[in-house]
Amino acid sequence: MQDLLTLGFLAALLGAAWRLATPLIFAAIGEVFSERAGILNIGLEGTMLMGAFCGFAATFATGHIGLGLMAGIAAGMIFGLIFAFFTITVKANQIVVGAAINLLGLGLTSFLFRTYYVSTGRGVEIAAPVRIPWLSDLPFFGQAVFRQNPIVYSTVIVTILATILLYRSSFGLTLRAVGDHPKAVDVAGRSVAAYRYGAVLLGTGLAGLGGAFLTLGHSNQFVEGITSGRGFIALAVVIFARWSPVGAFFVSLLFGLFYALQLQLQAQPMGNVPYQVFQALPYLMTIIAVVVVGGKTVAPRSLGVPYNER
Amino acid sequence: MTQVEQGGRGDAASRPYFRMGRILTGTATAIALPAAAVAIALLCGAVLLTLNGFNGTDVINVMLLGVFQDMRSVSEILLKATPLILIGTGLCVAFRCKMWNIGAEGQLYAGAVAATLVGVSFEGLSPWLYVPAVMIAGALGGAFWGGIAGYLKVRFHASEIVTTIMLNYIALITTSYLVTGPMKDAGAAYPQSARLLRESWLPALFTGMRVHIGIVIALVLALALYVFLYRSSAGYAMRVVGINPHAARYAGIKPGRNMISAMCISGGMAGLAGAIEIAGITHRLYQTISPGYGFEAIAVALLAGNNPLGAIASGGLFAVLRSGAELMQINSQVPQVLVLVIQGIVILSVVAFAAFRWRPGRKS
Amino acid sequence: MKPCVFRLGAGLGAAPFLLAGMMLGNAASAEGLKMGLLVPGSVSEEGWNRIGYNALKGVEEQLGAEVSYVELQQNPASFSKAFYDYASQGYHVILGHGFEFQDAALEVAEEYPDTYFLISSSDIHEGKVIGLNTDTSQPFFLMGVVAAKMGKKAGLVGGMEIPPIQQAFAGFKAGAHSVDPDFPISESYIGNFTDTTAAKESALSMIAQGADFVVPNASGATVGGYQAIAESGGDVRTFSIFSDFTEVAPNNILGLYVADYAQGVVEVVRDIQEGNSPESNVIFGLKDEKVMQFTFRDDGPVSVPEDIRAEIEEISAGIAAGNIQTYSD
Repeated sequence: MQDLLTLGFLAALLGAAWRLATPLIFAAIGEVFSERAGILNIGLEGTMLMGAFCGFAATFATGHIGLGLMAGIAAGMIFGLIFAFFTITVKANQIVVGAAINLLGLGLTSFLFRTYYVSTGRGVEIAAPVRIPWLSDLPFFGQAVFRQNPIVYSTVIVTILATILLYRSSFGLTLRAVGDHPKAVDVAGRSVAAYRYGAVLLGTGLAGLGGAFLTLGHSNQFVEGITSGRGFIALAVVIFARWSPVGAFFVSLLFGLFYALQLQLQAQPMGNVPYQVFQALPYLMTIIAVVVVGGKTVAPRSLGVPYNER
Repeated sequence: MTQVEQGGRGDAASRPYFRMGRILTGTATAIALPAAAVAIALLCGAVLLTLNGFNGTDVINVMLLGVFQDMRSVSEILLKATPLILIGTGLCVAFRCKMWNIGAEGQLYAGAVAATLVGVSFEGLSPWLYVPAVMIAGALGGAFWGGIAGYLKVRFHASEIVTTIMLNYIALITTSYLVTGPMKDAGAAYPQSARLLRESWLPALFTGMRVHIGIVIALVLALALYVFLYRSSAGYAMRVVGINPHAARYAGIKPGRNMISAMCISGGMAGLAGAIEIAGITHRLYQTISPGYGFEAIAVALLAGNNPLGAIASGGLFAVLRSGAELMQINSQVPQVLVLVIQGIVILSVVAFAAFRWRPGRKS
Repeated sequence: MKPCVFRLGAGLGAAPFLLAGMMLGNAASAEGLKMGLLVPGSVSEEGWNRIGYNALKGVEEQLGAEVSYVELQQNPASFSKAFYDYASQGYHVILGHGFEFQDAALEVAEEYPDTYFLISSSDIHEGKVIGLNTDTSQPFFLMGVVAAKMGKKAGLVGGMEIPPIQQAFAGFKAGAHSVDPDFPISESYIGNFTDTTAAKESALSMIAQGADFVVPNASGATVGGYQAIAESGGDVRTFSIFSDFTEVAPNNILGLYVADYAQGVVEVVRDIQEGNSPESNVIFGLKDEKVMQFTFRDDGPVSVPEDIRAEIEEISAGIAAGNIQTYSD
């Protein structure tokens, strides 16, 4: 029990939290863009699976992690294109299409994986940890927190870029207007559909990247259903983070922290506490957090509503 | 398949003038649209199979021929359709009230746990009492689990999407704890509950077949929920809350109460599905008793345009596809997961058809 | 899997095959041996389901049986249906790969008294429903002994708390504590068999807390555990279980525990074919050398010293002879 209070424990916890948060950060920031433009994409789970599978397949074939990551992003965007076509052009219900995307993602990746990779059993080389000068030399924390691979570090850059794009660019300004007052944007002579397509593609590309991280930056293999519900958790993160990229970063990190904590606590000899109590911890804490910060939500006003151009 | 709902607008049933017409055309499309959609999806499946080195047409043939091969096969389809119809119709109610309940899987487990607790406890009870008691326990368990999310939404504005997703995990973890701990069958090495007392088992419909009265319960309740939604003032209130909670308030309807009720109804249906799986099929509680019915039923409800009658058709369709997929794997070793792709394409085809069909009407 | 499809496609064609089955009914049983397999998940991953699949392939290759399998994704509603499907199509032996298939097999067996139902990880024996259990606590006992002799603290990462995993961990603890009753061992479950990421982080967190002997056992997600071990440097030791993971963690794996469950199943099926079906439930252990192999590695940078090896040999012989209990409830 005393082990819990050491600096080393805390550092290991933070390091693990960051890695566990990484796929969530990508997917959640992507979904922030999508939802800010008024499109609710519950198909994140299927999209992430596509990213995880295609990223793995590309790296397996070529040996390049960079190509794999790009394949993951591209695969996400292809699913994004399908989603966007049905929700924006056909104007179908977004939740319906999202549910279909989840089915397609799980079915297609599992089917292809079985058809082509069943007996290989081999993995790919995953992205190697990189030292950051000064930070990696910090006592305790340097070793545990700043010995991650570049994909994990890139979450910070993605968060900053996303924030600038969303709040400091004219694209972001219009995008947010599309989510809140699509008619105003339309009247001003800009295409609501084009912005929504852009937001969805950006979002699903990031979700694909989040999926690809699982196979290229953490585990070195694809396993059917490897996302294990992370697409749904990312949806929850977006709401809890109140549709802000910085919020999405920290909420993901918080979730990662609780997940890492439950893994650590399970491994502690704790007498008679059933391990399931710890397993439930991250989910229970998320509910409590949502209840505590609750209040009136500030969802984009046209979220989930298709727009009919005049 | 009356209409695929368009984000709160165009709710046909709120405009009485169109209602009868919509129901009639709805019934027609409920048959025609999915049929065309299934044909497209199967075609895509065959193409996908052929591209990957299987004999696509043969496989699809086996799938279609096989599922209706004999009475037993049909009975198995009904078994799979039962939870999908139950949960799907329950979700229609929640979705109509704009409560995005993603937590049916957890509510199913909550119901299964409650049903098991009752089903193993009362020796010597008459089946006439015992079976209903187990069903009610399951429904209450699910309603409670769904009600939590409803209450948190109304009281604290906690998004039901977030809370129901989290409650799924918590229900699964709790079940795992119960069957490895306090509810574990004494003496068994395996994580499973004791066997339900025989008096609490759901009776079979026909001797020699596994299909039990669960399917009848599902059909009756689907019908009842349809009547509730479209023919009762309480159902009307729920739909109004779904369309516009502010307007509802002006009309003297309490949105909060309706939202919680909608969650309790959909949770109760999922819990009942859990009870039926336990009392009708497994007769024990295991760590995993559902292959994801709670998630599949979301697609069932949405495919039905959130209409309980449509959910009977779409639930049946998904059950046929699932049975066919198992057969396909047994006979030609095609990975069963292909069925998910087919289901996904069915949904996309249906929404595409629906959109093209209703677009002219929407402008008027 | 693919060759099988081709065989069907080229030879019979799937649809006529099914139709023939329907028309001929039980006449099909006059042909050669047919065996079916029910697995609770995907056979595509290195893990539990693959073991069942390999058993089926073993029977196909060594006994020339016609085989088929079906994945049931933890769907109890499909269990008896799948048994019925196979039994009614004249399959002689059906392997339900997991204790959860036991109840359904008993139910179907009432109607098909001539069909053999083998149930993995079960200790049942009722008529022709026969449990086959690989006692994983035995090799894990040996690993526990090695851990306590060579390490400071052990960590066990499990998938879900099911008998094959529970038993294995109980054996490990019994083995380690037979050397040093106070040897610290931590244990955690990730709660599923797919989340390699969680398996990896779980192992990493144990290592961060001082574990230097870590064994993951989580079916498909197991590989994540080995990655964590490999990334933590050569000071962390482990054993490769069920499959050969030396490629993943070449600097850490001391030896291999490989269960050739396939061989065990082949023997049982051969006995059935020859008319001497087992008279009780079957338990495979270290006594069955063809089924259970526990070997040390000599090609790696780390290896188990000779004196410990000799001791393990001795304990292993003791377990095989039934003199050492590796697991008690």
